[in-house]
Amino acid sequence: MLSRIADSLFWLARYIERAEYTARILDVNFHTVLEQSKDRYRLHWDPLIVMAGEEERFRSLYREADARAVFEFLAFRHDNPSSIVECITKARENARTIRDYISREMWEDINSFYFTVCRFQPEEEMAAGPHRFCDAIRFGSHRFHGVTDATLPHDEGWEFLRVGWFIERAEMTARLVDVQYHILYDAPAGIGGADNHQWMAVLKSVGAYEAYHRKYHSSIEPEKVAEMLIMHPLHPRSIRFSITEVQSGLRAISGSGAGSYANEAERLTGKVLERLRYDRITEIFQLGLHSYLNEMLRLCGAIGEDIARNYFYYGAVA
Amino acid sequence: MAALPSKMPLLRLFGDYQTGPFYDEMFAAPDTPRPHYAKIFERLASMIPAQFEERRQHADLAFLLQGITFTVYSDGRGTERLFPFDLIPRIIPNSEWQRIDRGLAQRVIALNLFLQDVYGKQRIFADRQIPRSLIYSCKHFLREVIGIEVPRGIHTHVCGIDLVRESKTGEFCVLEDNVRTPSGISYVLENRLVMMRTFPDAFHAYEVLPVNHYPAELSRILRNLSPRGGDDAQVVLLTPGIYNSAYFEHSFLAQQMGIELVEGRDLITDGGIVYMKTIHGLKRVDVIYRRVDDEFLDPLAFRPDSVLGVPGLMAAYRAGNVALANAVGNGVADDKAIYAYVPTFVRYYLGEDPILRSVETYLCSRKEDLAYVLDHLPELVVKAVGESGGYGMLMGPTATRERLEDFAQRIKADPRNYIAQPVQPLSLVPSYDPALGAIEGRHVDLRPYCLYDGERVTIVPGGLTRVALQQGSLIVNSSQGGGSKDTWVLHGEN
Repeated sequence: MLSRIADSLFWLARYIERAEYTARILDVNFHTVLEQSKDRYRLHWDPLIVMAGEEERFRSLYREADARAVFEFLAFRHDNPSSIVECITKARENARTIRDYISREMWEDINSFYFTVCRFQPEEEMAAGPHRFCDAIRFGSHRFHGVTDATLPHDEGWEFLRVGWFIERAEMTARLVDVQYHILYDAPAGIGGADNHQWMAVLKSVGAYEAYHRKYHSSIEPEKVAEMLIMHPLHPRSIRFSITEVQSGLRAISGSGAGSYANEAERLTGKVLERLRYDRITEIFQLGLHSYLNEMLRLCGAIGEDIARNYFYYGAVA
Repeated sequence: MAALPSKMPLLRLFGDYQTGPFYDEMFAAPDTPRPHYAKIFERLASMIPAQFEERRQHADLAFLLQGITFTVYSDGRGTERLFPFDLIPRIIPNSEWQRIDRGLAQRVIALNLFLQDVYGKQRIFADRQIPRSLIYSCKHFLREVIGIEVPRGIHTHVCGIDLVRESKTGEFCVLEDNVRTPSGISYVLENRLVMMRTFPDAFHAYEVLPVNHYPAELSRILRNLSPRGGDDAQVVLLTPGIYNSAYFEHSFLAQQMGIELVEGRDLITDGGIVYMKTIHGLKRVDVIYRRVDDEFLDPLAFRPDSVLGVPGLMAAYRAGNVALANAVGNGVADDKAIYAYVPTFVRYYLGEDPILRSVETYLCSRKEDLAYVLDHLPELVVKAVGESGGYGMLMGPTATRERLEDFAQRIKADPRNYIAQPVQPLSLVPSYDPALGAIEGRHVDLRPYCLYDGERVTIVPGGLTRVALQQGSLIVNSSQGGGSKDTWVLHGEN
């Protein structure tokens, strides 16, 4: 497989995942805010901007992080490279450069996804609220996953998609948990009781609300939410689950077996996974959640870089 | 219930259809369809406009979703436009096609022999059939490739030869040869697919020859060029990338042939061998179906500023380590001054009379032709010899006086650069005009695609019918409002 194609598949998946994740968070937060007192407003919107890593750009464009500004910025702005429309546009551009490789149905699907997104009128949607738009993004992403799974041979190319999807997801979940804790720690009420709504929103945004109740049979407790999102072995949005998928994809590409590694990306993936398997949430909180998650993010970044070094980039003639 | 509703709408979809002074391919006389169009005419006449409109939108949506678009960069962001598709097929009876098929095969073989000769022994100069100076002054004649022995002696693997109908007799003749990197075949194949989906009932009435064997035939020809022989030849399609207007076609053909679609940056040369960069290391490339123009192929050999090509590619080609299709240097045969000599090539190389006529052509480099051209400018089409796609052209009858004057000056300053031809009154085929909601005649040409394996020329029946969708327009180029039609060659006569 051409390196350029592998590169495009990897990013195609990442952009779709980023768009879906952003849509989920946007949607859930918007609806949680409806039941909040106005003075707690900021607690909802600020984290979203921080998560996207676009604080500076946001401040240069808007005076205040309110629902409308955040929605516009994260969904529609072309000058925000992480906005949903930009992600879908770039996903499609990547698909376009490899349309001879992906299945025809995948191309038609991502293409119609793109046109669906283009047809939304920002003004109209901002008046209506983000639900309709975010729903379309979530559905579009699910459909693309389904079409891909059902029509693309599960060979190396499919593995690069899988690795892209899950490395992005692991990073997004880590950022989500980190940012929420960070903001709530700083808040006067601390991270306890009163913020139940906030934690519920976090769970709902990753579709884990019901699974949480099934597992813990208790009210929403921040530590448990963190445990679920970081270490749950089987919930498809937990960091552990995501990194397990990354590992399995990387091994399928290189052919290395369990207990060994063929490159730095695989070594780091194994290392991250060991920690996620054997750490306890209480230990993590003792060490400091923020530094723990930051280390996760750093390692995810290093994994991505090493994948690129190994598979995508060529220097001068070998 | 029976008679009235089927008669009333008939008048509406065809509106007040006029046949006019041009050759109309559907109608022999007003309201009298030619035999091979009778069934489709009946079918269309029985449809109400709303039904037709619905199918048309269906077809447009299919093209949009498949991304069969070309990109226009006018607003800085790049908007994608559909290459308009007209649902009314163009129909060619089998006997007429047979003549075209033989005539094109003859022409392709003659062009190939000519290219072998001018880049080889150059017998044609010694035999005084064409002035050496005319060849050497062609913009696209490349001295760099003289003496290179191309695999199997094939220069013209893929040719697109543009045909138009003679206005009185309706006989097809050759307007232009495209033996560099002709594009458009993907539209032929996609048009047929969409047509079968949206108008299955029209196919039931006819026996239409299939076109879908094109990718397999091209793939076979390319594989046979491999310098290493064997069945596992690594064949790739080299594209300039997604911003090229024909990018859709490049990816389409690569997918249909099951070969890698590569950009210049995916390839690298080392020790006279071409490799592609894969996730598991470098892999040797044997055959390149390149859709990058000659001058961009290799910055070391041609334009040093080209980022689309592969440094060292020409050295690998010269060493015989990689095959290129089409061969490098073919542009000389596309030169519009050389076009006038193709009948000479057919006679000289094959000892046969040309089956397809060429359009009368005045070479401004000839003194007497130049005088004639300058005297009759308002009646002629003037073309710059090295250009294509409708660029550098003067349409005499519609040009302003200033423009005629300007062109006369340009011709006098550089006569070798221009040829002139009588204006071709392109034939008409009924086409749907969405703005009018009715069918009117629109001008068309035809570009069949010819594949040459060194022995035999294979032509998929039909080709790309380009249609000038603007009322009265004679310009079929997609960049200037042209669209296309599905082209049916029948198994029989009607």
